[in-house]
Amino acid sequence: MSLITPSNRSRGPHKGGFRRNENNRIYGNPFPLLFVEPPPSRTKSVLNLLGLSLTRLENPHCEGIFDPTTRSVWVSNQSDSLVLWRRGFYGKGDLSRSEPSWLARQINLRKMGGKQLTSEEITARRRAERQQFKRDRAAAIAAVAEEAETIFATEGRVITPALSGPAIPSAATWKPSTPSIPEASATPTLPEDVPEELEPLKDVEHLQLTLQEAWFLIWNLGCLTVLDRHTLESVSLKDLWTSFQLAHLPPLLPGLTSPMLQFDNPFLVNYVAYHHYRSLGWVVKGGIKFCVDYLLYKRGPVFTHAEFALVVLPVYEDPEDEKLSSIQLQNVSPFGWSWLSTINRVNSQVQKTLILVYVTIPARSRVSLEVLESPACLQYYSVREVVLRRFIPARMRD
Amino acid sequence: MEKHPSYPALAAIIPKYPRAAGGLFQAYNDILYSQQWVDVGVVDLPECGRGAIKGRKRDTETTLYVVPCSLAETVSFSWLQTAFKLLAEPEEIYLAVTSEDASIVYYKISLGIVKPPV
Repeated sequence: MSLITPSNRSRGPHKGGFRRNENNRIYGNPFPLLFVEPPPSRTKSVLNLLGLSLTRLENPHCEGIFDPTTRSVWVSNQSDSLVLWRRGFYGKGDLSRSEPSWLARQINLRKMGGKQLTSEEITARRRAERQQFKRDRAAAIAAVAEEAETIFATEGRVITPALSGPAIPSAATWKPSTPSIPEASATPTLPEDVPEELEPLKDVEHLQLTLQEAWFLIWNLGCLTVLDRHTLESVSLKDLWTSFQLAHLPPLLPGLTSPMLQFDNPFLVNYVAYHHYRSLGWVVKGGIKFCVDYLLYKRGPVFTHAEFALVVLPVYEDPEDEKLSSIQLQNVSPFGWSWLSTINRVNSQVQKTLILVYVTIPARSRVSLEVLESPACLQYYSVREVVLRRFIPARMRD
Repeated sequence: MEKHPSYPALAAIIPKYPRAAGGLFQAYNDILYSQQWVDVGVVDLPECGRGAIKGRKRDTETTLYVVPCSLAETVSFSWLQTAFKLLAEPEEIYLAVTSEDASIVYYKISLGIVKPPV
């Protein structure tokens, strides 16, 4: 059965409703923190009448390690990674497309044809099938064209070769001619090889959180502790706040004692946008695949595709600050129309709406640099949005 | 990062180019563990200010080159041409664009115009 043809038949326990319910069950908590209700009792109802609640807050207390080279926080503990991914879709496995699944893929590979396919394997199969379909279609079109040529040569009749029709496969009618697993022929020899090369698999993958995600979890939700990578002791909030900013600045020269923190630090500018949308309930993930900064998902990548694509455009309140700044922020100067059109086109093709997020960087003349020592400086930033859609007057009459 | 099993292979290049270190580490891990290329090694490109990765896909013979760069960098034409020259003029190189959330996007860059395969 092909993965690219539309199929209406339900495939037993994996039909649409089952998958939806499974996802609702696994990803049912949008927050890493859980509110645990005690079972109903007399004391509970009495307390409820008085306005008190016995609901407990369950904090998963995840741990991560700050890595300044990759400017991220690594969570190596498997259960912590799963908790952070399943409750709010924080982070991304560094060897996988979404949750850390590298170990599962390697185990599958060793067992050769495991029934539980990870999402990467399903995508790989679908792409291979689509390539095969395109080749078959191209061959069929070439055959029809050749037939038209020979008819013209022999009988003198002109036939325009059709690009669709009964002879040419379309996505709905194509069937894979070769089995989707080409390694099926190699399985007889493999069981003899496996015991020789079987060494215990070490999981080299970790869940990678961007500094913005990590700070959101640490400061707003209080469910992540960050450890120093050499001493493995937990780092204080104040030290983390400064380290996250310093990660984006060039390394300290030996003469200077304390580095100058600046308002236009990329960490701060991106954090303002991230915090704004996360606190509104959107799931915010990176948008490098679509040429943008962030993607907004309504519930999560597991449920639907992202509806919105964000481009963060920093705006200096005082143009003088931009000239004096040592940081070269991206997208500060106004977009050229060609660049804006390119990004808009890319996103319209994948049915996403482009949002331009203008983040205003406070002027140094108005706000002193000392406020950067604590997250209280975030109140001086502001966010404005412009939604961009392409308008085609001929088609969009209503 | 120093405790990661792939660090020893990169230990020579990472301290040399600290700004490109994150991208190189990420691209190297992706190529070695996720894409599962064989004969993976690192090439030093001093004029480009970074290291590149060489290797070949499983069951193929041609050596392919991957040049990592990060999302925040600007890539200029001369930079790419220098990379081609330093890598002994391969037909194509892969540009690996890395980002902080461990996403990586590969672009295949060839010298000249290439016809689409199908």
